[in-house]
Amino acid sequence: MADLAGVNGQREEFRVVGKPNLPGVLSYAMATGMAKFGLDHVLPGMLHAKFLRSPYAHARIISVDTSKARALDGVVDILTWEDEDIKNLVSYGEHWGPVRAWLDNTADQEGAEVGVIVVAESEDICEEALRLLDVKWEVLPHVVNIMEGRKEDAFVIRPYDRHTPTFGRPDPNAPPQPPKKGNVAYSNVCWGDIEEGFKQADYIAEVKMYIPAFASHFPNPPGSVAWWTKDPYKGDAEILHIEGAVRERIPISKMYNVPLENVVQESLFMGGKYCDWGLRRAQEITPLLAKRTGRPVRCVNTREETFDFAMKQRFVHLRVGFTKEGLITAIDDHSVVDGGVYGSSSFGTVGDQKHGPYNSVKCKNIRQCWEIVDSNRGMMYVSGQHSPFNWDCITVVNQLIAEKLGKDVIEVARLNLHGPTAKDDPNPVPSFERCVEAGKKLMNWQWHPARTKRLPDGRWHGMSFRYQICPRHSVSGYMCKLEYRDGAVVLPTQGPVFGAYMVEAVAMVVAEEVGINYEDLKILYDYREPFSPVGGGSDGSTASAWAMKECANILKREILKAAIEYADSMPNFAFMPLQSNPPPEPGPFKGLKPEDLDIKDSMIYVKADPSKAVHISRATPKPLVATYMGRPPLSSWLTGGGHVFDCMNTLYCEVAVDEETGEVEILRFGAVVDPGKILRRTSLESQVDQAMFFSQGCQLFEDYVFDERTGVRLNANMIDYKKPTMKDVPLVERDFIESRNGNAAYGATGISHSMANTHLVITAIYNAIGVWVDPPATPDKVLKALGKA
Amino acid sequence: MINEENAGKGAVNAVPVAKSPFTHASTSAQAAAAIGAIPPVLTEFNCPLCNKLYYSIGDLTKHYEECHPGRVVPRIVVLHINGKDCEVLVEPHWTLKRTLQFRLGLTGAKHMCDRGVCGSCTVIIDGRPVLSCTTLTVECEGKSITTVEGIAADPKWKPLIDAYCRWDAMQCGYCTPGFVVSAKALLDRNPHPTEEEIKEALSGNICICGTYPRHAQAIMEAALKMSAEG
Repeated sequence: MADLAGVNGQREEFRVVGKPNLPGVLSYAMATGMAKFGLDHVLPGMLHAKFLRSPYAHARIISVDTSKARALDGVVDILTWEDEDIKNLVSYGEHWGPVRAWLDNTADQEGAEVGVIVVAESEDICEEALRLLDVKWEVLPHVVNIMEGRKEDAFVIRPYDRHTPTFGRPDPNAPPQPPKKGNVAYSNVCWGDIEEGFKQADYIAEVKMYIPAFASHFPNPPGSVAWWTKDPYKGDAEILHIEGAVRERIPISKMYNVPLENVVQESLFMGGKYCDWGLRRAQEITPLLAKRTGRPVRCVNTREETFDFAMKQRFVHLRVGFTKEGLITAIDDHSVVDGGVYGSSSFGTVGDQKHGPYNSVKCKNIRQCWEIVDSNRGMMYVSGQHSPFNWDCITVVNQLIAEKLGKDVIEVARLNLHGPTAKDDPNPVPSFERCVEAGKKLMNWQWHPARTKRLPDGRWHGMSFRYQICPRHSVSGYMCKLEYRDGAVVLPTQGPVFGAYMVEAVAMVVAEEVGINYEDLKILYDYREPFSPVGGGSDGSTASAWAMKECANILKREILKAAIEYADSMPNFAFMPLQSNPPPEPGPFKGLKPEDLDIKDSMIYVKADPSKAVHISRATPKPLVATYMGRPPLSSWLTGGGHVFDCMNTLYCEVAVDEETGEVEILRFGAVVDPGKILRRTSLESQVDQAMFFSQGCQLFEDYVFDERTGVRLNANMIDYKKPTMKDVPLVERDFIESRNGNAAYGATGISHSMANTHLVITAIYNAIGVWVDPPATPDKVLKALGKA
Repeated sequence: MINEENAGKGAVNAVPVAKSPFTHASTSAQAAAAIGAIPPVLTEFNCPLCNKLYYSIGDLTKHYEECHPGRVVPRIVVLHINGKDCEVLVEPHWTLKRTLQFRLGLTGAKHMCDRGVCGSCTVIIDGRPVLSCTTLTVECEGKSITTVEGIAADPKWKPLIDAYCRWDAMQCGYCTPGFVVSAKALLDRNPHPTEEEIKEALSGNICICGTYPRHAQAIMEAALKMSAEG
């Protein structure tokens, strides 16, 4: 806990870090439209490619006649799954599911790429050619309703796949899982004695929770543009240029057996990712097509083809036993969860059981029996809005207990939250206590039981509370390099540049530690550079900033040493470069030692006499390099198995429900968050807002709608699948606690995933009207729950 | 107090320090260069169906008659974009979004929804914000089109760009140009919008990164500054 291991981890004065309204180095590029994303690339003679997409939820191509399509003007190439070039393709992207053929003749969801790829002069021609294919389909039974798919007599959609999903190292002490049956694999986790726990209970409550699937919906549709060139400086070696598959040079290099140094990727802007790291086929195929055609090729998914899950559908049957004081004695979680199509990641299923919410409560009698159902609903990539959602089982449990006993839900949560070190730790969690204290003040918190408070306009008032640990995943190490050259401090990085502005937070730490003004730091984006701030989710900005903090201090020492060395070398220094600026006049540092100097506001000065100073640009003409490789100590989230709490966050919601119309209005969200230490304030605030707007969307608007008869998704577009707009979103009131308890830079930790939730609004609705409504709580569902429809 | 003035007296030959390529001045210059690179008159005519190159529209038309009979011949449309007239060769069904990217190299308008829902491709046509993904290029002839590049290149709008950056009204940055264009269209017709008016005007732009509250802050700050600057 806390940044005790790093240089200046306990720094108290900050000039740059945490400063508001500091434009990012990349802000101007984004605001002016000059930021170039991969798909913006247009090259002379560029071709376009499109995949055949399945109109069926589950089908096999028996045969395909491509002759009419090949005869169409403008069609340049057509490949099928039977071509050797396709058979030889292997993906090295992050899929984290069972390995599957890169492309074959089986479609396991409507809209899946299957069987054929067309390359043509334009996308229009590709589409026309796809319509001219004579495809013989064998339509197979499908499962899009997982409650039907789990039944014993359901059609088994993947008889060849009998594996049980795992995540990470299996627990050697865990009993073996039951074998897969039909479409259902099992993942059961049991702690303590569940039956004994229920015997100790004064009350047993049950609730059926529904967690809808949720679209990841990153703004920039995935795809790529690729072309091959020869570099006169590299002999006969071919250079592969690929734009759009950002951060994926390594898997692309492996896939096409091209040395990494010969894979070029200039555009590092990658748009929103929201931790969806799955590499799509459109991002992988273009190098092959460009090689075959000898021309640049662009392949980009449409929006409709980009509606992958960020969250799997899950039905939860929760039973909870508790005492008359509100102490939980047993939790029984029986979940039926969508396993997705073949190759889906286990991240959103068994991965969530390991670090779930039940680790946070004192109760030791817990059973999680999960049925993971194969389906034809959609692909689940390695996607990030998963585990935090499951904390809402605890959100709901606390609400149930509070309503039953007439106790403030925050008190129920506090009673059941174990201490900061372990389940047996009786002490309060300091970060939780500080968040709650601030939260109550922020929200003017006055809890009331369900259906007891009306607003002046007659609508029911509801309120809810939720907490979670702020996680840092600790999975990444960092290779840092900083330079001093041409009078500037330079941070070279491969980026990438997405979502959370990770590099900017790192840059602020570098400026802080070297002692320069933020605007005097130059960030150099270059795909060849080793430093990337990406880590396991929140590691990105906080842990990489920790490593860069070490590197910055090394560079600072080098600069001070060099400034003295340069001063000492005069007037003997006779170097006069032929083709560059004359060297700067050295600072008044002759005969001093590095410890006599310091840097502040970009000025190197003599500590004993601050009037003796020069701007850092005049330190030395000598180029300097500092490197550091490492990472901060492992986080408590990882080492403590989810049982050790350092930084927490608490969320609050107030709603108004109109029982005549069924309309729900979120009056306001409250977010009191302890990120340990704020690095880049505006990014942090937007991350909080984003999580809350995600929460609003998935609880009031968003869900996939399937036609169960055909298995077709009916709303995979931005008209029918509604995302909140500026007029929809409620006020988010925020307050930040800087406990310095995280162990990344200056005690920071991450917050990004931990506030996204499925039931904060839903529990507030329950508090308003006294009945549960499944998300998304559309007016018709609210009225139905109230018995009015 | 240490500052450049009192530090290291007598030192006159300081080295110019390299700055980030992404400042207002540099991005504005990049935008101006992108506009400047658009040729006013077409001199090359690639066949959209087979990529053969011709040097007149007449030769291309003849090629269609000979090699692609029955197919619709592309036509030359004169567009007035960011204050500049330019010819583009398009097929009748081409959207303005497509023309901007694939004919003119203007990539500030972004493809997100591709059906008029998200606002990422917003441009201003004759003073009104318009979705370029659902506007046919052939309909734009004779109209005045402003893209984000035109706004970025115009010093008048520096306060708006500055305010967007100062308030960090962006995260991934993909949808941001669409918001900036909508904001400019709003300020053109309403130099002092209220927060509610801003929400109304920008409700057709979708951001998934949680930046909504920041746009109003940025636009109101820009409005004040532009008003003060006259």
